[in-house]
Amino acid sequence: MRKILEEICSLPGISGREDIVRDYIISKIEGYCDYQIDNLGSIIAFKKGKKPAKNKVMIDAHMDEVGMIVTGVDSNGFIKFAFVGGVDTKVIIGRNVRIGKDNIPGVLGIKPIHLVDKADESKIPSSDSLYIDIGAKDKEEALKYVSLGEEIHFESEFVEFGNGFIKSKAIDDRAGCAMMIDLIRSDLEYDCYFSFSVQEEIGLRGANATAYTIAPDYAIVVETTTAADINDAKGEERVCVCGEGGAISFMDRATVYNIDLFNKALQVAKEKNIKAQPKTRVAGGNNAGAIHKSRGGVKVLTVSVPTRYLHSPCCVCKYEDIESSRDIVKAMAEELASC
Amino acid sequence: MEYSEVLTLLQKLCAAKGTSGKEDSAADLSAELLSQYMSVKRDNLGNVIGKKGEGKGILLDAHIDQIGLIVTGFTDDGFVKVARVGGADIRVLTAQQVTIHGKKDIYGVITSVPPHLASDKDENKATSFDDMTIDIGMSKAEASEVISLGDRITFNGPFDKLLGNRIASPSVDDRAGVVAILRCLQLLEGKDTCPIEVMFSAQEETGGSGACAGAFNAESDEAIAVDVSFASAPEVSSEKYASLGDGALVGYAPALDYAMSQKLMEIAKAKDIKAVPEVMGGRTGTNGDDIQVARGGVKTALISIAIRNMHTAVEVCDLADIEATARLMAEYIIERSGKNA
Repeated sequence: MRKILEEICSLPGISGREDIVRDYIISKIEGYCDYQIDNLGSIIAFKKGKKPAKNKVMIDAHMDEVGMIVTGVDSNGFIKFAFVGGVDTKVIIGRNVRIGKDNIPGVLGIKPIHLVDKADESKIPSSDSLYIDIGAKDKEEALKYVSLGEEIHFESEFVEFGNGFIKSKAIDDRAGCAMMIDLIRSDLEYDCYFSFSVQEEIGLRGANATAYTIAPDYAIVVETTTAADINDAKGEERVCVCGEGGAISFMDRATVYNIDLFNKALQVAKEKNIKAQPKTRVAGGNNAGAIHKSRGGVKVLTVSVPTRYLHSPCCVCKYEDIESSRDIVKAMAEELASC
Repeated sequence: MEYSEVLTLLQKLCAAKGTSGKEDSAADLSAELLSQYMSVKRDNLGNVIGKKGEGKGILLDAHIDQIGLIVTGFTDDGFVKVARVGGADIRVLTAQQVTIHGKKDIYGVITSVPPHLASDKDENKATSFDDMTIDIGMSKAEASEVISLGDRITFNGPFDKLLGNRIASPSVDDRAGVVAILRCLQLLEGKDTCPIEVMFSAQEETGGSGACAGAFNAESDEAIAVDVSFASAPEVSSEKYASLGDGALVGYAPALDYAMSQKLMEIAKAKDIKAVPEVMGGRTGTNGDDIQVARGGVKTALISIAIRNMHTAVEVCDLADIEATARLMAEYIIERSGKNA
């Protein structure tokens, strides 16, 4: 799983441009399951278990990542763009990006601090004023290399550091994809459906459709969520803590979770000696928001990898939390299939 | 890309590290590269000093230090507290990748504080340097094993080749100037020139102490400082500032020697080297200011290389401008040597 994680995080795939990620996933699950690609581009996979499931269980992770999209080129050859998904302006200024299929290198420039009024020295420029410099000498040259509508992704390599930490772009939610690939390639107790969904970051588009198609009784969303365990933060303000295992949600801004599933997940993790923790803040949202109200309603559980600096080019998490999240998901899939 | 000599030198020098007062591998590498052309020594402040020939000649200066951060302590959880070294730009540091040069190089990410933990709730404001911490994924005990107070921190970033002959990298300020001087010496190889002194000076970003002390020990009565300057970009006026690709920016300022500025422009024209004047109203904010008043005074010129995004990890320059600067200095030295011969 570690190698798969590293490879899949490095692939470009903003919302709506998940092709490369999808092809990679298919290359890894081919032969281990049946799958189809739906009209929006999500992969729906069915993995036969040792036994038929009493209840239909769907596991979901999204393939897309946040990034930007080219909206124009100004008269001097600077690229203008819109954000795809929620990106905080302050984590991308002064960073390197790659544009389009040809991976044209560019950088997000900023007016030098020396030329900024003293009062504005810590003021983050407005997102409208941002631009990407690809070194073009004018508009005409820029348009030879970059077209409107092309995707822009962060350039940020996969790094291992400290005590078992990793840093990469797109850990949200390639960590979830890597876990699902790992489960599909292993032996499962019960039949299970998997949704590698598109377009989560722009409003849970893909999972709306896959949940309808699969029509599950139960769903488990495999995600990443903010770990605010930094700068000596204490208690529940940390949301969740790196190294303490998969974070189980009782409520976020998109979903009020089924409380029995929340409790069950923590209990099962404890019984099986898997590290798990409750997510201690009502914040964020994920595909559960779409899945729980699909058709006649679905009971949903979310297991997330605690991740620092989410939606930045430098997401940081602990690899062991990805392993424990996977183990909780596997145990709960069995539990829900047979209950 | 063209300008392969300049490209190779810049890539090597930008990969080396050296913040003000601890110029480390950058100074070592520049000394090694310089020693191909002249005898080299290091002085008390860490300046790299080279000299070729005897007696009064011309001093070429570029600073070897780069901006960065310095370790001031740890939080209880093992996050690293910092202060800045030189004029690092707080607006580009959230979630920036860094290297802490401790007992070994330690990877880290500057923390990005989620809104609910931010002390300043203004989303459009960067965290202050006082509140800034670096995540190194270690406990305090582990961190203090490998990192000591005063260790230096540099900003990570790739050496990105953009379109044409343009490059984005950390520390183009002022490795571009160091490259211009090395390339100038390469162009002068085999030529009989006046004595040349070279100073790759320390501590420019923290106030120019290196150039101050280095110029005191230099013999030359004439100097050219090479530094970077602002290139036009969105919100950086193209009427006020030169553009990438304009060539060498020849400084005109009350503190600079007017005759030298004029001579440089004249030579640029005669030798078909791209150059434009860059006018400042007093001093220049470069090592030129310190060199000018060394001992009994030194006639000083300044040539600048335009860069975008100064003091970020994506300083953008055009290799053609570095080459033009090198050629202009070389032609100036050739002419000066002929006259004095």
